[in-house]
Amino acid sequence: MDNFHPLESKVLLALAPQPGSPSTLDHLAASTGLEPSQLSMAVEWLLAKSLIAVQAETVAHIASLTPIGEVFFEKYAPIERVLSAAREAGQTGKRLTIQDIQAKEALEPSDVSKAVGTLKKEGSILIVQGGCLESTGRNSPTAEAMRALLHELRSGPRELQTFAEPLRAVLQQHAVKRGNAREPFRVDERVTRSFLLTPSGQEAADQLSRDGVAEEVSQLTPELLKEGAWRTKQFRKYTISLRAPRIAAGKRHPYREFLDLVKLKLVSMGFQEMRGTLVETEFWNMDALFMPQFHPARDIHDVYFVKNPTHARMIAEPYLSQVTEVHETGAGAGSTGWGYTFDAERAKRLVLRSQGTAVSARRLAASPSVPGKYFSIARCFRYDQVDATHATDFFQVEGIVLGADINFRTLLGLLNLFAREVAQAKEVKFLPAYFPFTEPSVEMHVRHPKLGWMELGGAGLFRPEVTAPLGVSVPVIAWGLGLDRMAMVALGIHDIRDLFSADLEFIRTMRGSF
Amino acid sequence: MPTISLQRDELEALIAGPGNTPSRLSVDQLEQWLMLVKGELKGHNPETGELRIELQDSNRPDLWCCEGIARQIRTKQQGAATAYPFFKKQKRADEKLMVAAGLEQVRPYVAACTAIGYRVTPSGLTQLIQTQEKLADIFGRKRRSVSIGLYRLAPIVFPVSYDLVKPDDVRFTPLGMETVMTLREILMVHPKGVEYGGIVSGHDRLPVLRDAKGQVLSFPPIINSREIGEVQVGDDRLFVEVTGTDLHMVALTLNIFAANLADRGAVIAPVEIQSPVKTAFGKRWHTPIDFGAPRTIPLKAIETALGEALGSKEVTSALKSYGYTVKSAGPKVVVQLPPYRNDLLHTVDVVEDVAISQGYARFAPVMPSQFTVGGLSRLEHMADRVRHLMVGMEFQEIISNIMGSRQDFCTRMRLDGSEWAKVVEVDNVMSLTYSCLRQWITPSLLQVETNSSRAFYPHRIFEVGEVAVPDASADVGSRTITMLGAVIAHAGAHFSEIHSCLDLLLYYLDRAFTLEPVPHPSFLEGRAGRIMLGGRAIGLLGELHPEVLEQWQIGVPAVALELEIDRLLDEA
Repeated sequence: MDNFHPLESKVLLALAPQPGSPSTLDHLAASTGLEPSQLSMAVEWLLAKSLIAVQAETVAHIASLTPIGEVFFEKYAPIERVLSAAREAGQTGKRLTIQDIQAKEALEPSDVSKAVGTLKKEGSILIVQGGCLESTGRNSPTAEAMRALLHELRSGPRELQTFAEPLRAVLQQHAVKRGNAREPFRVDERVTRSFLLTPSGQEAADQLSRDGVAEEVSQLTPELLKEGAWRTKQFRKYTISLRAPRIAAGKRHPYREFLDLVKLKLVSMGFQEMRGTLVETEFWNMDALFMPQFHPARDIHDVYFVKNPTHARMIAEPYLSQVTEVHETGAGAGSTGWGYTFDAERAKRLVLRSQGTAVSARRLAASPSVPGKYFSIARCFRYDQVDATHATDFFQVEGIVLGADINFRTLLGLLNLFAREVAQAKEVKFLPAYFPFTEPSVEMHVRHPKLGWMELGGAGLFRPEVTAPLGVSVPVIAWGLGLDRMAMVALGIHDIRDLFSADLEFIRTMRGSF
Repeated sequence: MPTISLQRDELEALIAGPGNTPSRLSVDQLEQWLMLVKGELKGHNPETGELRIELQDSNRPDLWCCEGIARQIRTKQQGAATAYPFFKKQKRADEKLMVAAGLEQVRPYVAACTAIGYRVTPSGLTQLIQTQEKLADIFGRKRRSVSIGLYRLAPIVFPVSYDLVKPDDVRFTPLGMETVMTLREILMVHPKGVEYGGIVSGHDRLPVLRDAKGQVLSFPPIINSREIGEVQVGDDRLFVEVTGTDLHMVALTLNIFAANLADRGAVIAPVEIQSPVKTAFGKRWHTPIDFGAPRTIPLKAIETALGEALGSKEVTSALKSYGYTVKSAGPKVVVQLPPYRNDLLHTVDVVEDVAISQGYARFAPVMPSQFTVGGLSRLEHMADRVRHLMVGMEFQEIISNIMGSRQDFCTRMRLDGSEWAKVVEVDNVMSLTYSCLRQWITPSLLQVETNSSRAFYPHRIFEVGEVAVPDASADVGSRTITMLGAVIAHAGAHFSEIHSCLDLLLYYLDRAFTLEPVPHPSFLEGRAGRIMLGGRAIGLLGELHPEVLEQWQIGVPAVALELEIDRLLDEA
């Protein structure tokens, strides 16, 4: 048999001595000494276990005073005040109208007119010429009853049934009803249930009284363990189907978890991580990538410029001269160049890094390994209105691959590898694309299990105009992956701004499937 | 790059060529063909037949129009480019255009031709105007380097002159206006004058195109004359001119227009340009002009770059069917671009055209085979260790934007006027909300607190991320630092809680730190510490000042920790 909560045991034992005779909650409260809330808890548990049953339900009507009734008790009911005002006027010979009473006694017009109506009906007053009230000297049974009821109920609620008929009628007449809340009395229904032990309850109670109530504990304590006292205790059973209380975990951000996974994949494919700075010169952000200084994407509306200082002090040589040369004449790279006058001052202009490729350009100029594979997950800034698809700053996953064996076909091979490893895609499509710094250029589309065909990234072979001035003589793949859409699908979100959410509840509950 | 709108049946007709029966293209076929032009179908309306196509290549303005797309596809289908007779050097031109002295200081170059025999249709006119706008706007950088004018040929009496005049000396009725205006008035009042006036500002004399009778054709690059410069449906004799600041770009733009009009059935006649100064084309030349030069490329270079031994025959036919003029010369090929292209800077440009012409599917992917070792930077490795320890101490990681406002990074932190209020600011601010880079992480975390008063407490949050700190000694005027920020917020948040976290973190990272009291406006006085490692400050921690919490509308006490992860490396 289950062991019982101490409250349950008390109720079972209280019901056991009088088998067959039902007890109300009031009786049980008296015999168990429990608080009403504890008692009703125990009764509900026992009912749920079918150890006790409801023997009968009786409905009692309980009369009590309303706040208005309290006021009437203090200041007398309107009917009494109207009557006494009429009597007083009779004695002093004054004429008294209904309006006079209202003003004198500061009563509600509706209360006065109701009182006058009753008093007139009962013959206690007359209404004479000019609407004046005149006392007849006769008592008002209603006024008497009202006074008695206010007195009686002042000391506490009473069952309606205990009042004699005339009083009961007045009480019901002046009780709060729908549409009439301004009344001195209220009558409430109270359901009184009485309980009996069921046969299994009887059995349980018998057992309890036989065995005595073993002392129950809710929590194992170091003391119980130390003294071995746990051996004589019973441990209360829990309702283990209840929902667990919420706790907060220490955990990684789900988007970071996604990026960590990408990082792991890239490292496991043999890529070295590169890092750069948030603020870059136009030189490394664009010039070194052979984007002519008049290129449309270098417009004021595409890049954020830094306010102070506006320019870097210098651009490292020989890169400045070599890049200048390649822009102007193409010399040193087997190119015609762009054929314009390169502005070295413009090259020093500081911008917020707008593309991760800037990190790759710096790497190319810093004696990269050959063969070599590099990646960066770089925060970039674009001059865009912030909306569901544009964040003020965002992560770009990009990198380079250098090697004597690099060509268009190995570029496609590398992209295939990315599609398989990073996007778990089996189907891949390569489309011609345009980037200012690569030729040939490729856009990779993959079939995503949920999104269908989507662009996974862009890549190409760096133009010799990029690599030669930076001192690199082997072919170099430049690649970039657009992973935000994949991340959003994995995290079940639809707004790119949610990747950078400031809502802790949202972050705590967000989870990814990747 | 540009997205253009065009009619499907018009595209089909142009692909077929004048006089041929067009064949219907399915959307799939169209997408396939669009690979030749790096075009992406952005939308199509089956009811109206409208196609919206985005063209990616900013060096191929010839493709930013219906005619150019059709030409590239037609060339592939026919195996070679259409020969345009007007690009051949001609002995004489019937019409002349004289350039006045002094224009070399303002807007030096002009190119022009006539086009006769194509009767302008409503959709043809729409396309002409779209091409004119896209070329002037994107290729011509908002008309600065190139602008284009189209005119009815009939009223023009040759020779046309390209002159410089005083702003008040010449008047005409511009397009879009009812009355005669001087050039100065146009610059002040006409919408196009207001929009593009900046291009010619600072010059006391302005460019104008006039005919032999003195009729104004236009005020380049601002606006055409209403009388001559408004081409209408039904016109079949046109005059086209291009002005600009770069001789080759101007010539190229006219070549594109000439080819486009020829593709629609017009006969193009050249105009002789006479310049007072010597240019790369001399002092007299005809436009359209084929100014390209042949280029000799070793076959091997193409094959090596593509990783495929295609052989001379395949390379030759690939380039021919992509519009090139090609001659095979043993181990080399001699190639020349068609006159409406000028984007051959390097052999690699030819390499890509071979690949595009053959289709990327022609090239089987090969895995790069050379071995490389992968790995993280020391900084990233350290940052990851810190993140894992913070997670172990039951902190939730946060990722925030790095861009924000001075209000958030300084003012609300009570830092204004202090040494901690230096931030990297943006010059061309789009919105005050995003005008600086954060110099520390704590404001990002307080932003989370502001938004999360209903998330159950305690809150333990952290971010490892980049910040930018102005530093005159740095190459780019600021240092990018990878920083740990952590905040604990709840009714009983206390200095010792965050102190314990720091203590444990640096214990596991084996860095022996000390704390020094620091008067920092963001923290309660006497409850903030500077974290010292090897004699250098590497961070801060403390109880946030109630005024800071008030500023952020945070209703519970909070303590914060800020630690430079870069500095942990220095001391390794």
